[in-house]
Amino acid sequence: MDVTVGTVVSSGGRARAARRRATTFGLALVAPAFCLMVLLVLLPMLRSLLGTIFPEGSAGPTTSGYSKFFADPRSVQNLVYTIEVTGTTLAILLGIGLVLSLYLRFSQSRFTGAIQIIALFPLFVPGIIISFALIRFIGPTGNVATFLRLIGITQYQTPYLHPSGAMLGLIWENIPLTVMLLSAGLAQVSNSSIEAARDVGSGWARILVRIILPQLTRSIIVVVGLNFLGVFGSFTVPYILGPAAPQMMSIFMQNTFSELQEAGTSEVQAAVTFFVCLIAGLIYTIAVFRDAAGSGTAR
Amino acid sequence: MPIELSRRLFLQSAAAAAATLPLLSTRVSAAGDTVIDIVSDGDTNITDWWTNTLAPMFEKANPGLKLNVVITRANGGNDTVAQRVVAAFQTKSDPKVDFFEEFDPRRVPGSAESGAFETIDATKIPNLSLVNPAGLETKFIVPYRASQVLLAYNSDKVAAADVPKTWADLVAWIKKNPGQFIYCRPDKGGSGGNFVVRAVHEANGRDPSLFTADNYSDDLAKKLLTPGWSVLKDLQPSLYDNGAYPAGNNPTLQLFADGAVSMISAWSDMALQGISLGTLPASTKLTQLQDLPFAGGFAWSAIPTQAAHKDAAFKLANFMLSPEVQARMIADFGAFPAVKWDSLSADLAAKYKSVASTSMPSFPGGKWSAALNDGWYSNVATQVTRS
Repeated sequence: MDVTVGTVVSSGGRARAARRRATTFGLALVAPAFCLMVLLVLLPMLRSLLGTIFPEGSAGPTTSGYSKFFADPRSVQNLVYTIEVTGTTLAILLGIGLVLSLYLRFSQSRFTGAIQIIALFPLFVPGIIISFALIRFIGPTGNVATFLRLIGITQYQTPYLHPSGAMLGLIWENIPLTVMLLSAGLAQVSNSSIEAARDVGSGWARILVRIILPQLTRSIIVVVGLNFLGVFGSFTVPYILGPAAPQMMSIFMQNTFSELQEAGTSEVQAAVTFFVCLIAGLIYTIAVFRDAAGSGTAR
Repeated sequence: MPIELSRRLFLQSAAAAAATLPLLSTRVSAAGDTVIDIVSDGDTNITDWWTNTLAPMFEKANPGLKLNVVITRANGGNDTVAQRVVAAFQTKSDPKVDFFEEFDPRRVPGSAESGAFETIDATKIPNLSLVNPAGLETKFIVPYRASQVLLAYNSDKVAAADVPKTWADLVAWIKKNPGQFIYCRPDKGGSGGNFVVRAVHEANGRDPSLFTADNYSDDLAKKLLTPGWSVLKDLQPSLYDNGAYPAGNNPTLQLFADGAVSMISAWSDMALQGISLGTLPASTKLTQLQDLPFAGGFAWSAIPTQAAHKDAAFKLANFMLSPEVQARMIADFGAFPAVKWDSLSADLAAKYKSVASTSMPSFPGGKWSAALNDGWYSNVATQVTRS
């Protein structure tokens, strides 16, 4: 923005120099962070990825690690399970998050403050505590079972140690981030546009689909992207609340690495996990950048 | 005058800061005490005992030595610390750890052979001569306590006549009472691990001597472990929630304490402590199988070669094996001694006769237990074969 103004008021040569100076200064500012990322994240990651193609003691490049992974039913089962848990968790999370943030944005009720506090509360509780608290709450003789028994329902099937238990924990844990991001998106929806739509006779459903959701697309993509990465890599909650098998990839990797001490195999597992997350990451990055380019906040 | 005042203020606050500094830092203690840095990833019963009972006992008996017990339960526990010890050994630097409360160097590849952990013998730790020879699996470890897995049952729900005495009895009871028994995932807790071991023993003529610390091979493992998987697979439909295996010793005890199941496999020490603290119901009773007891295991300590306070660490290891401390562990948290029962008082041996079975079969660590745990996931929990 400043640069454009500059070109108008000053002569071409000086403006170019100023622009170059600004660019250099900007690069100098981000250089330390960028170097740190290259040194501590990108290089080790690249080394790891190359290690899966050039395993120790092999003459040339080989994909044997990957073909072994996809030929092993247990590895594939764990990968599919991780994707399923992540997908289901995201869908439910998005549903709950949307309802909560829409309520918080548009409700005039006195309870919004309290509900906001409750929605953000999980942010301050570590995963391991959530897990043990949920065992007490949803376990076979927990509070839910006791309550249902009181009102005469005795066929309660506990989700504890089932995939649904892991999902429940993950949903609870990730509600705050979802609500915060969606609320931030909703804050940009102007009241006047909604009032205008209402004036010409739109109902709530129409306002939601035509006015609110289109303006919320970016937030939804951000929510899905960030939560995908978080849930896909989660460890503690699915480890304590979920079933013994199938396992989430994180638990599977940890077992292969420290129990079986097969560093190469766990590296392949990590690489596969990374590629799945990369897809989510790419979609997220493209969406954010395209959106940003469209609205002119990035060049 | 204002200058004078601010200078005085400065001196005062500097003095105050200097006085509070030692209080803030745990490593600094009075008059040049040697601080032994200990890492422990044991369950709370163990770490509590180290911090609240052992540390004062040891410090009283050894003036000038202090214990700093660091709990490393989360994120890989002592394995992660040991990896750093191996790295520190390679760069010849101080690993900042003097004593591993429980660690078997076989768990970190290369750490045993590399020399990162001290070779232990009776010249360094005199009381090592009292130790039960079964606990000395490698020369890098000091066994300091033991515990054995047994059955815990709710005597309100299990009639005295139905209490299993043999493996066959146990299987019959589990099938007759579907959903009332559970053991935990073998890699997450030894109470489940040694239940799996017992099934493998059962499938191999109840002969624990088939599995030794140095006879592991993939073929032998396949031959000996596979029959065990069918024993366990056969049980699965009759277990709690059709085989919903909890993620550790404590979650299993929790299911039992909440009344969701009536019988579990449990560590002797945790069960005894649970009963005495009241975290397990008063109707809890313990029993051991008579045909072949459940396996037990030793807790092994290890000392890094580069430890800054190695001599103090030897002193601590020796202290741990003294009959006085061994008796204290039995009384305080139901541990079994690492030393031979005959080096303790006869009264004590008699008192714990009911739970201390005559023999304590063991199952080797290292590759054997890795194959056991991974095989269980592949064959029992998932019911798909890992290629």
